[in-house]
Amino acid sequence: MTTQPETSTDTMASADLQRLIEFAQLVTAGRDAMSDEIVTRLAGALSEGLTLLDRLTRNEGLMRLLQVLDRQDTQYLLIALSDAIHAASKEVPATAPATGGLGCMLRVARDPGTQEGLRLLSVLGKHLSHSMREQHRHPEDSHR
Amino acid sequence: MRILVVGGGTGGTIVANNLARRLSAEIRARKVRITMLSASDKHMYQPGLLYVAFGQMTPDQLYRDQASLLESCIDFHVDPVEKFELDNQKVITRSGKTHEYDILVIATGSRIVPEQIPGLAEGAETFYTEETAVKMFKGLRALEEGTIAVVVGVPHKCPIAPVELIFSLHDYFKARGIRDKIKIKYHYPIGRIHTIQNVATWAKPEFERMGIEYETLFNVKEVDVDSKVVRSEEGTETEYDMLIAIPPHRGMEVIEKSNLGDDGWIPTDRHQLTMNGHDNVYVLGDTTNLPVSKTGSAAHFEAEVVSENIASIIKIGTPVRDYDGKVYCFIEAGHDQATYAMFNYQNPPDLKPPSKPMHWFKMAYNQMYWTSVRGLL
Repeated sequence: MTTQPETSTDTMASADLQRLIEFAQLVTAGRDAMSDEIVTRLAGALSEGLTLLDRLTRNEGLMRLLQVLDRQDTQYLLIALSDAIHAASKEVPATAPATGGLGCMLRVARDPGTQEGLRLLSVLGKHLSHSMREQHRHPEDSHR
Repeated sequence: MRILVVGGGTGGTIVANNLARRLSAEIRARKVRITMLSASDKHMYQPGLLYVAFGQMTPDQLYRDQASLLESCIDFHVDPVEKFELDNQKVITRSGKTHEYDILVIATGSRIVPEQIPGLAEGAETFYTEETAVKMFKGLRALEEGTIAVVVGVPHKCPIAPVELIFSLHDYFKARGIRDKIKIKYHYPIGRIHTIQNVATWAKPEFERMGIEYETLFNVKEVDVDSKVVRSEEGTETEYDMLIAIPPHRGMEVIEKSNLGDDGWIPTDRHQLTMNGHDNVYVLGDTTNLPVSKTGSAAHFEAEVVSENIASIIKIGTPVRDYDGKVYCFIEAGHDQATYAMFNYQNPPDLKPPSKPMHWFKMAYNQMYWTSVRGLL
């Protein structure tokens, strides 16, 4: 009795079959390792995750903020903000504590940095107030 | 447009949340307002009560704050309705407040009425409330041998409950190693072991495999608590050591008192889900008199139709969908296996063989329910 030599097709089929067996073993192992508690915990986390994702993606204020943050000119602002935070974190600890009193207030008010800061806050406040007034006047347009 | 949702169960919560999503632009523009009136500030996952009765869940796992499940734009009040005045398009609540509406959604659910059968409330365990489910579990734990009789009142919520109860009893006592000392006898009011023919066909050999005795055409007449005997209208009786009842249900009292429907079930159009004679009043869930199961899944599928139609009426002036009677019920079939029954007005369920993944699906759904009532799934 003679045996046929194994062809390359047979070898490939055998290898495929072996991979299928390994995959089935993996599935069986996973199935055996699962318990009601694991399924419950995973489903609970997934459920809460989906709810959170749903709330975030339907939060129009957050979506508008993300849109604004994506714009190129906002990148400059973000970089500037990062630099400012970094610089302030170094500068504040090295600065002597404020002494208080009107003299100190005057010195701070004369500082160009204070004036730049107030101007920035003033511009921000102006636009913020305008936007909030418009949204309350025309709620149907404000979310477009 | 004032939309008033009465009832904060599965159906009412899904309707309110779906409407809030569909009508978000109109709500922002203050053209639409959604109000919900509920009897409780808590929302219970009712199918979990069966797990409580077998010590697989604790009651606290069944509850969430109702407000946490609702879209923030929904005006929510814990103030149950005491009177419906449909001709005046208003309801009056327990606190005495009046709520007027343009569209009303009634999803008040149902209640158990074991007192309709003499001796049933005193003599039988049930798992339809938190207290009775815990009491039933303690009773099961204390039982070492004897006969458990299961009786079924009609109509009742969740048609699959009697069958699931039997599988759970069998598994529970088998796990304790005393199944051979416990006799389980099942009684059902019609001439087969389940109202749905295909479920009856599937369950019969399963009952025989588990050694469950069963008696059909057994309509509970009375329970003799002292003698521990349950008797049927048909003249038969069964002695028991523990009696477990699926109690009969009725619609809520306020529905009956307001003359909206006999026994608290409101006559409802089977496709549009409007109350007969009132096109601006929608009814869903257990509250309808429709020939579909009184389950959370029916309420869910009805809620989707109701909310889509209300939204489309507001947006384009006409409803767009019909309810086809769809119901989807998981069936826990013991041995950590489950199957499901899906059916509608036209098609009966075609049960698939139970499997472990379906059991996991049910386990997962117990958690995903909260995503579902939020209107996301």
